[in-house]
Amino acid sequence: MDFPDNLFPTFFLPGPPGLSDSPASYLAPAWSDYMQLLKPPQTQDPSINPQHEASYVTKWGRWKSDTPGPLPFLLPGADPWDPELMSQDLLFRGRVKQPARAKATIDVIEQLNHFLWDHGDIAFGPLGMLLQENFNLGEKKKSRKNKMVMNTEWLLRDLNGYQPKGCPWAHLSTRQRRFSLLGGTVLGEEVENLLGGLLHEELETRWKRLLLDEASTGGALGWVPGAKPHHGQLVYPTGRAHDQLNFQKVKLSPTNEPQALGDPSHILLRGPVRQVVTRTIQGEGETHKAACFPLLGFPDVASGAPCPHPSHESIACFRLTLILSSALVAVRSDHHCALWKLEHRGPPEPLQVLEMEKEATGISLSPHLPGELAVCTRSGAVCLWSPQHGLQQIHKDPETFVFKDPSSWRWADFTAHPRVLTVADRTGLRFADARAPSDCGELLFRVGAEASCQRGERVLLAQYLGTPDPLPLSPTLHLVCTQFSLYLLDERLPLVPLLKWNHGLLSPPLLAQLLPPPYPEAPLPLLLGGLGGHLRMLHLSGSGRTPQLAAPPQSLPSLIDSLPGFPVLEPHGQQLLQERLRAPLTGLAAVVPPGCPSPTMLLFQLSAAGDVFYQRLWLQPDTSSESAGSPSTDHAEDLGLNSHSQTSATSSLGTVSEPSAVSWKPRAVACCRRWLKTLLQVPPTLPSWTPPTFSQHHLRWLKEENKGKVQEGLRAAMAEGRLLLQGDLAPLPPSDPPPAHEPFGTEDKLSERLEASWERKGAIWWDGQRDGSRLPRKRQSREKRRTQLSSSFSSVRSTSDFSDVNSPLPHPPKTPSPLHRMSETSQSLELSQELWVKNIPRERRQTLRDYLAVLPSPDSGNCSIPQFQNPSSQSLSTSEPGKCSVPCSQNPRTQTLFSPLPESYSAFYSQNPNSQSLYSQNPNSQSLYSPEPAFNSVFHSQNSSIQKLPSRHTPSLAGSQPLRKKPRMGF
Amino acid sequence: MDAFSEELMGFVQKDNQVEASKDPVPEIHLPWLSQHIQSTGSHGQKGTNFAQTTSICLNFIQEALLKHQWQRASEFLQCYLQTLEDINSQKRQMAPEIIWKLGSTILYNHPKSNVETFSAFADRMKNIGVQNYLKISLQHALYLLHNGMVEDAYRNLNQAESWRYGEMSASQEKLIKLIQAYRGLLDYYTWSKKRTEVSSFDMDGFATNAATQDMHSYFRQASVNLHEIIKIPGVWDTFVKSYVEMLEFYGDQDGARQVLTDYAYDNNFPSNPNAHIYLYKFLKKEKAPEDKLISVLKILHQIVPSHKIMLEFHMLLKKSNKEEHHKLGLEVLLAILDFSGCTENITAWSYLAKYLKQIIKGKHREWVQEGWSSRKDWWPTFHFSYYLAKKNWKENRILALKKAFTSGILLGKVKHQKIILSSGVGRPMFESSFCLLLAE
Repeated sequence: MDFPDNLFPTFFLPGPPGLSDSPASYLAPAWSDYMQLLKPPQTQDPSINPQHEASYVTKWGRWKSDTPGPLPFLLPGADPWDPELMSQDLLFRGRVKQPARAKATIDVIEQLNHFLWDHGDIAFGPLGMLLQENFNLGEKKKSRKNKMVMNTEWLLRDLNGYQPKGCPWAHLSTRQRRFSLLGGTVLGEEVENLLGGLLHEELETRWKRLLLDEASTGGALGWVPGAKPHHGQLVYPTGRAHDQLNFQKVKLSPTNEPQALGDPSHILLRGPVRQVVTRTIQGEGETHKAACFPLLGFPDVASGAPCPHPSHESIACFRLTLILSSALVAVRSDHHCALWKLEHRGPPEPLQVLEMEKEATGISLSPHLPGELAVCTRSGAVCLWSPQHGLQQIHKDPETFVFKDPSSWRWADFTAHPRVLTVADRTGLRFADARAPSDCGELLFRVGAEASCQRGERVLLAQYLGTPDPLPLSPTLHLVCTQFSLYLLDERLPLVPLLKWNHGLLSPPLLAQLLPPPYPEAPLPLLLGGLGGHLRMLHLSGSGRTPQLAAPPQSLPSLIDSLPGFPVLEPHGQQLLQERLRAPLTGLAAVVPPGCPSPTMLLFQLSAAGDVFYQRLWLQPDTSSESAGSPSTDHAEDLGLNSHSQTSATSSLGTVSEPSAVSWKPRAVACCRRWLKTLLQVPPTLPSWTPPTFSQHHLRWLKEENKGKVQEGLRAAMAEGRLLLQGDLAPLPPSDPPPAHEPFGTEDKLSERLEASWERKGAIWWDGQRDGSRLPRKRQSREKRRTQLSSSFSSVRSTSDFSDVNSPLPHPPKTPSPLHRMSETSQSLELSQELWVKNIPRERRQTLRDYLAVLPSPDSGNCSIPQFQNPSSQSLSTSEPGKCSVPCSQNPRTQTLFSPLPESYSAFYSQNPNSQSLYSQNPNSQSLYSPEPAFNSVFHSQNSSIQKLPSRHTPSLAGSQPLRKKPRMGF
Repeated sequence: MDAFSEELMGFVQKDNQVEASKDPVPEIHLPWLSQHIQSTGSHGQKGTNFAQTTSICLNFIQEALLKHQWQRASEFLQCYLQTLEDINSQKRQMAPEIIWKLGSTILYNHPKSNVETFSAFADRMKNIGVQNYLKISLQHALYLLHNGMVEDAYRNLNQAESWRYGEMSASQEKLIKLIQAYRGLLDYYTWSKKRTEVSSFDMDGFATNAATQDMHSYFRQASVNLHEIIKIPGVWDTFVKSYVEMLEFYGDQDGARQVLTDYAYDNNFPSNPNAHIYLYKFLKKEKAPEDKLISVLKILHQIVPSHKIMLEFHMLLKKSNKEEHHKLGLEVLLAILDFSGCTENITAWSYLAKYLKQIIKGKHREWVQEGWSSRKDWWPTFHFSYYLAKKNWKENRILALKKAFTSGILLGKVKHQKIILSSGVGRPMFESSFCLLLAE
């Protein structure tokens, strides 16, 4: 390989980061952000041969977008999405006494208050357990002899009914006063100390995650090219918990927008998908026979029985090895990593799953050897993993490389040498040699004065820029991103960045992709994406020389820039849309469709809400240079100090011409409208907290026959840390439905409209009015009242109250479906949760529901209602039964991985006899091949589950947690 | 809770100003933290109107730069000049540097800007905020050089060099050195021009003498400055090359060798492959003994095994008399082919094929086994896959032949043909290697 024989002069001054006195801080290769376009003076006389090249723009043009913002590619999913915790939720909002010294303060009192209310069982449960023996909660006085037992019946009665929350003048009975004086200090301190510490810890982790969510490093959107040049697949997660991995076939067109082909096939996982990496295997797909030849296991075959004439037929018999496919998809979840094989036809086939004790932080696929992966975890271990050879630990060090940093984030990637990896932590990058794992490799990058890093600078992303295809760039380049800058390093010249650029992103840059050049000699676009949705595009050039920026970097529109393309909505709708468009960017995939007349690039973006947007960029020959500025020379000369009067500045602002401005075309607007229509039909999320609907009084003075049932239900609910449901206690006495509101006339438009806008469907109502399709509506609205009433008894957790049962428009599909091929009207207008009752006469559903609510659950009350009512969904993942059961049972293509139930495991593999046989033939995958205890093959630990903390935001999830904690009493 | 609040407070403070604390490793500094805090509106006061407008203006400029709207950016920059009068002294000090960065970027890219505009802007910015004088001068000079205006650049550097303002900080001293080095480089250019002139002279002694003296004075000027910068750790490829060339011309071989050796082997310097190459080339030109050349390249082999000069190293080792060198010769070839950028290097493959044959004839089968043992689990996939065989056969038959032959030796244990047949390298590989063997 050629090494550039003349490097840019630079100082090399080791030291801690942030030495502002270091001259390197402005004389790094890119000492002035854009000025590095200058070539270093060559040894030959520059006056003889002045290196005056045509500028990039006039030579190549610049990338332009068709639309001012990205367009939605797939319809929004059926799951509502609410933004995660925001800084507003955590920070103190009161008036600051010293505004000059304003500071961020976590509003602990508010948080503690919320916590005590929402998770009273956790907060007071242990105390309740302690005091349980000594307190009599109003039972018959059977323990009169025991003097240690105190009767709190009257105390509770006093407390019941009102809560003197924070009111100093509230009436206190003597009993209350005495109790609070005696017990207050002890009880208060207990809660404060224990809970305060825990809460603080939790808040701290939440706040840190809010500022830097490192889980999505690398991105969760993958592109797999198909067999035909214009086909491919997008791989991305959806679902509220990001646990549904979708494979969406896409057809690209050189001129038109991309098309989604059919519904995506999905795989339901037992954990959230954090990262998706795809890699095509070279040469596959040429002929299918060729693909049958084992790529790995070559030596074994060589030592086998020799065939004198290796024809294609005889080669086909070697189809023992797994890695034959045309593309590999590696997925990182929190505690699992999995590898799938994607062939041009047929469903994705799972190859192997790894289970980690510590959270996995990075996964990457080797560009050199198909099927080889690098995996790293928070324990500091980095392993080379291949389904063929199992795991090989390369590096293990819980400490950070350069200086001590508390972060346990690690990252691993490959280098130009297939046996050497790079390992990154927050402080630097280091080589790790698979041939000599014990050796401590050389440092490739260090957060320090050599790279003129700032104080507090940390590595956020590291990526190897080499690909199997030969690029004009040297295959030894590595990209390192920190929160301030982007560095390019050559692994042959460690510690000295060849290029540094201050990216100025106001969110962590966690996504990067290098693309092949649009023309044979043109620079290579390098995309950089921040979690906040900001995108940057750089143009790298320099074959055989040091890589350089061939043009000033460009910014690309983010999702929120598409907001003007959407129609204006009512305030709540507008807010919903804005929140959705502001969702963090979690995936980025750029595709260059082959055979386009002009170089085109399709940029797919995945947001945390599960939305896939796309944007078409094309390389436009430069035209703006003529029209860019009217009196530019004068202006440029006026840049001096004497001419900056406000008036001239403001007057000139009006004349600013934007030659590059693109407007919204009707087609794009229509696309946005369609997407929005579906979005508005998605039921809004449940409020994060609902007040409990029962009182202790009611509980304790229940009839005797109900008591055992109630206690059982109560205990189960507490054990799972969820809200107590009506169904857990007792069936309510059947009551007559309240009289329905009779319309005033035959056409009560006003009430209808009010009703619609109350449910945030004003626009839809209006559309419906215009379309004149009001006849079916009335019937539906009557039906809806009935459903609402019935469902309100069934379960508080059910989202039925909010779901849009009877809109005149087609029901949103359960899974995101292609937008450009509008789906036909869905047959079912029923609730998703109510699908199971399809075959039961309507009048009997309430009875059945009541009956089921009373029925003792098979696994100690741990199940949720829809789950055991639906026999077909038993084999599904139990992570979110209420949510996922319907799409799973409906879609025969859905597969479940990581299922805790053994029968589902076999059920899954019985669907796929091919893979079953593969596993039995491969001894490695069955045996526990783990040099390190942190890694286990998941085949042996199906029963372990990923546990989630009960969260305020997901009360509905809590009900399905496995019975882990001991039951707690909490009064 | 207090500790946490303090930590947060620390974030905010650090966001505003970077203060030197005793803690050697500061916490992670997130530039978007202030955004989070501002979005809660808990700040009460967001700063003065002045600060707000300037920061908004800065955002506009940056946005325009990223959208390549140079005209728009230049208009905003005119408004942004008000930061030079900021009441916050720290911001006021930072302002000239920011304005220079933005302004130079705009002028560099603006379709209607020219050298005069740039120079006018640079000259003005040099004198606002004295701290940036040297930096701007250097960048200005490089810009002029880039545009082929060597004399102007030289004058600029000269001016910068003689600039004095109070006590110089350590970084300014280094910067002065760098400026002097660039000036030395320009002196070297003049020197080399004179040298070509002198060599073309066939006049009387007097004119030649004068020219030579003139040339010598340039040499002295250049060598002083270049010698200074080379002592500071860094990457100084251009400077070292020029300096060594001049030393060589005046017959100071020892001095040149010393410079190159220091540049290559000083531990304070980054491990720069070019430094080793320069030393090797110098020694080769000097006709140094082969052992010495081998020892230089051996070190380079350890640093960058994929360097193209390693092929030359292999030839050197092959020619050597020592057996250990012969053994190393194989390792060098195998190491080159380990790298993904060298997989289709036909010279390396043909060397390897030839050398393997030679080794096996020389009864050193164990060398091959030793080199192969660490590669046998991945080379077959990496080099000898069916797809690659087909591809190589299609694109470059000679390469395919060489690879087939090598794979035959490496994978085979008994007889090449049989192994190639049974290894299923595929038809093209099989045919090619078979042809080769038949030809032998």
